Amino acid sequence: METETKVLSKTNEFGTYEIRMESIGGQGANLAGKLLAEAGIMEIGLNGVNFASYGSEKKGTPVKSFIRFAESDKEIRLNSPVVEPHLLVIFTTVIAKNVPLLTGVKPGCMVIVNTTETPEAVRDMLKIPGGTTIYTVDAMGIAVQERVRINTTILGAVARAVDFMTRAALEETMRKTFTKKYPKLVEPNIKAFNRGYEEAVKYDVPDDGKYPVQHFQGFKPKLGWKNAPIGGAIVNPGNTVLNDLSASRSGFKPVWNEELCINCGACDSTCPDQCIIFRRDKDDKGKERQFFDHIDYKHCKGCLRCVEVCPKDALTAERE
Amino acid sequence: MTTETLDKQQTAEQKTVVLNGNEMAATAASQINYHVMGYFPITPSTAIPEEIDLKKAAGEHQIHMIAADGEHGAAGICFGAAAAGGRVINATASNGLLYSIEQLPVQSGTRLPMVLNIANRAVSGPLNIKCDHSDIVYALSAGWIILMGKDPQEVYDLNLMAVRIGEAEGVRLPVIVSFDGFVTSHQKRRSLIFNDVKTVQDFVGEFTPKITVVDPANPVTLGPYMNDDLINNRKQQSMAMDRAREVIPKIFDEYAKISGRQFSMVQAYRMEDAEAALFILNSSTSTAREAVDAMRKEGKKVGVVSASVIRPFPIKEIQEAFKNCKAICIADRQDTYGTGGGAMSMEIKAALKEDPDNKSLVLSRIYGLGGLEFYIEDAMEMLNDALDASTSGKVNVPFEYVGAYEGDESYVPEFAEPPLTVEDVTPNIITTERDPETGEIKVKGAITRELTRMPKRIAPGHGACPGCGIVPSINAVMRGLEGPVVVLFHTGCGMIIGSGYPFSAHRTTYIHNLFQNGAATMAGIVEMYKERQRRGEIPRDQDITFLMVTGDGGNDIGMGPTIGSALRNHNMIFIEYDNEGYMNTGHQLSFSTPLGHATSTSHIGPAQKGKSTQHKDTAQIMAACHIPYVFTGAECNHVDLTKKAAKAQLIAREEGFVYGKLLSACPLNWRSNESKGREIIQAAVDSCFFPLYEIEHGITKITYDPEAKGKRVPVLDWLKQMGKTKHMGKPDYEAELKSFEKEVERRWRRLKAMAENPLL
Ligand SMILES: Cc1ncc(C[n+]2csc(CCOP(=O)(O)OP(=O)(O)O)c2C)c(N)n1
Ligand code: SF4
Ligand code: SF4
Ligand code: SF4
Repeated sequence: METETKVLSKTNEFGTYEIRMESIGGQGANLAGKLLAEAGIMEIGLNGVNFASYGSEKKGTPVKSFIRFAESDKEIRLNSPVVEPHLLVIFTTVIAKNVPLLTGVKPGCMVIVNTTETPEAVRDMLKIPGGTTIYTVDAMGIAVQERVRINTTILGAVARAVDFMTRAALEETMRKTFTKKYPKLVEPNIKAFNRGYEEAVKYDVPDDGKYPVQHFQGFKPKLGWKNAPIGGAIVNPGNTVLNDLSASRSGFKPVWNEELCINCGACDSTCPDQCIIFRRDKDDKGKERQFFDHIDYKHCKGCLRCVEVCPKDALTAERE
Repeated sequence: MTTETLDKQQTAEQKTVVLNGNEMAATAASQINYHVMGYFPITPSTAIPEEIDLKKAAGEHQIHMIAADGEHGAAGICFGAAAAGGRVINATASNGLLYSIEQLPVQSGTRLPMVLNIANRAVSGPLNIKCDHSDIVYALSAGWIILMGKDPQEVYDLNLMAVRIGEAEGVRLPVIVSFDGFVTSHQKRRSLIFNDVKTVQDFVGEFTPKITVVDPANPVTLGPYMNDDLINNRKQQSMAMDRAREVIPKIFDEYAKISGRQFSMVQAYRMEDAEAALFILNSSTSTAREAVDAMRKEGKKVGVVSASVIRPFPIKEIQEAFKNCKAICIADRQDTYGTGGGAMSMEIKAALKEDPDNKSLVLSRIYGLGGLEFYIEDAMEMLNDALDASTSGKVNVPFEYVGAYEGDESYVPEFAEPPLTVEDVTPNIITTERDPETGEIKVKGAITRELTRMPKRIAPGHGACPGCGIVPSINAVMRGLEGPVVVLFHTGCGMIIGSGYPFSAHRTTYIHNLFQNGAATMAGIVEMYKERQRRGEIPRDQDITFLMVTGDGGNDIGMGPTIGSALRNHNMIFIEYDNEGYMNTGHQLSFSTPLGHATSTSHIGPAQKGKSTQHKDTAQIMAACHIPYVFTGAECNHVDLTKKAAKAQLIAREEGFVYGKLLSACPLNWRSNESKGREIIQAAVDSCFFPLYEIEHGITKITYDPEAKGKRVPVLDWLKQMGKTKHMGKPDYEAELKSFEKEVERRWRRLKAMAENPLL
């Protein structure tokens, strides 16, 4: 049975409208995905699914949330991740160095970005192909002002960008979800949501071929069945140093003031990420001692434990 | 399930929900209102007990939830509960299923129905948390009925029918409902549930046990030992499976009447004229159907067959589905290693052999192991292979792994930084000396500033949450250990954060074993090392410190081997970091979780007040093993901890087993400020909840006495710093707070008495 009135203006060959959200664990992309799917299903009457990229990753690592919509009477049969989204939502551009964010984004696709930059600047920064539509929104700024997480603000921009997704549907879903558990959060989130809707800036990117479409690569690890050591052994341990974890910081980093430091070593004893680097040197009397050398910002996750334990205020938290 | 909708008039009222497979299983359980759930958390099935607990706290059902000490214990609880005559549910996955497997034939052999949900996940090792079917194959010969659900809707439906099937007259067998981990367990989909609990209650009906072990008027011996008679018991079991074969379709029909959803043993999709077909199970079925539709548009005559029941194995239905098919590709999400196919491949080949008219060619494929995504292109590739065979009349590649990648042979893994040398890790900052007369050990030189010289054995770049306490706690221990160290980590956050392939944060040799068996594994390592030294294969003067690390959860499930290794007094240091819960799996209660604390399996709500029992005193349990050295430590007193570690090293080398327990912050699940881990731990210590002490050869010494130092604080000063315990300050929780305070005080007084009296 075919529905007479179609809700979705755009679908792929399998009859689905596909959304991918790129974020960092803790930013609430999972909840945003759930709210969006529920709004589509329960309020708009679509069929829909929502899932995330799962692993044992802890807070502060990249996560993806996926939503698929289809007309109400259409079964959604694909379970694999969204590789060619109609809508891509980027919660933070910081992860661009670790994650190929733009995979599968083609002309006709919409991209929502949480940023303080202009759409033109974001386009160049992320190398967004032409023929797409970008919406930028300063979700972080709004969220800080309204004292909420960025996810609901971003949903405001989604309601603005996606023709079949109404403001009322999302507002109703948020009310239902928050009222049960966190009644105090309802109004601030609705406010942030509305601001996201209104303050999002739209930019139709000219189809200029400036940046190529980045195609999905599939699973092609350097170590495969021909060359991986048997038994799953890692023969070059200690290689996590190659990871850049600066994207895990949520806005603050510790800054060291040499003048105030007494080289006590307390900060080193509390740092979970071994980012406080000491060196061997001679003191005034020519005696070999340990000296605070620097902070390793590539691996610092910005927990600020070091700032908390410093007895001399030689470490302070500063906005990035 | 065919989507054919039956006459709407007859069906019971249902409502639309957007839930995932785990939530649907929990909803079914809640509506059935089982008597007892015995469980142990394991990803990706954990949300089932979590959701049931949440509903319990909200007062939605009366299921009595029992958090077991491990899956073996959980299965034991379920067996006992079923023997006592009520309805029982459990949920697990992967190695959880494997760890309980010894109990599965016990349950089926004694003919006690129950329902076990399995969210399919790859079995270790190497550890993998994602979907494949390598777990469920182990249950194929356990004598349980096995139902397969491809999406959250089917998980709900099958859970309701499982009760009826298992309890049916002549069947009386336990039932597994198996569905894909993450893909189905975590994917939210539009589904229907019955509006009225009564609909469910009426469908499942009253449970009338055949025999129970709690009826004094009718004594019974359950579980005798049997010799030659066993074969007759087994024949009865086999007959019960045959009976299930008859009963299941009837229950499917009955369920269709109230739900409008008609299940069948086997589903043949577009098979009428199919020349080539794919056989596949669970969530991949949907993907395969999409592939079939796409290929049919190109005029290719393909189809797909799947099954909702694999025990009893639907032999006739399988024969029927494939009767006109020229070539079949059987896709297994597991391998039986060395047979040239997965379990379904073997069984289907056997089933077809019994049909003399069947001439189908068979291709066996292994796919999607360890959660490798199954894309529609993969399904098409398999179908095309089958199609090729059907046209050419021969099978070119009978057996293959789909999606495995060869790698880049020019790539050779290299050290990012040179490995630590013995000199590097022997800076001689700390010295330990034993007084030859008194035997007392003196530790010298642990000064924070100088300790920064000890290279970190755990490299930066690991995956812990910002502000996690595990690494600083373990660092404080490792700083006290001069010389080479071999570490063994139990499963848990400490393990996960440092070994995500192809990365490892461990700059010293590291080994993982599942967290019910680390202490035993380390015992094997230590003794082999010593034996090889005795045989001259390893230099006798080469000294290695063997350090094993577990979480508090690992020392719940692994307590047996821990005590075993302690009683055998192996030369090793056993460190337990206690973050008061199973954090890696999302904060379920452990036995170390204190009373009243809110976790994902001890929710607070109108009908429940957090964890209902007091915290485990593991250090005292270990002290009762009379090992040479037991200590507690915390990073807020990190120099004290480092000194204890140095002492532990000497004792482990010269005498034997050392146990140390550390309180470790988990800002994510404690819902506390990332920067304040140390402060919170300090408050726990100062409240006397976590006293710092050591027991050397039975003599207790308190190494930091907050009372004597005038620093003691009320426990609430500690509890109010964490989201998981804030409620303890509210009037509603006064009784819990009082009870907890009293227990803390009692244990502290007892410890003081022990410190004052060398005989205690
Ligand atoms: C046999 C088995 N059961 C369950 C699990 C799932 N599991 C992995 S880690 C973990 C919790 C570990 O808790 P704990 O030891 O306290 O360490 P934490 O994660 O808190 O650091 C659980 C339940 C498993 N891996 N194997
Ligand atoms: S804790 Fe402060 S004073 Fe001490 S070494 Fe670190 S920065 Fe310097
Ligand atoms: S902020 Fe945290 S991770 Fe960064 S240096 Fe300080 S303690 Fe280490
Ligand atoms: S969940 Fe807790 S214990 Fe696990 S890594 Fe995060 S902070 Fe550490």
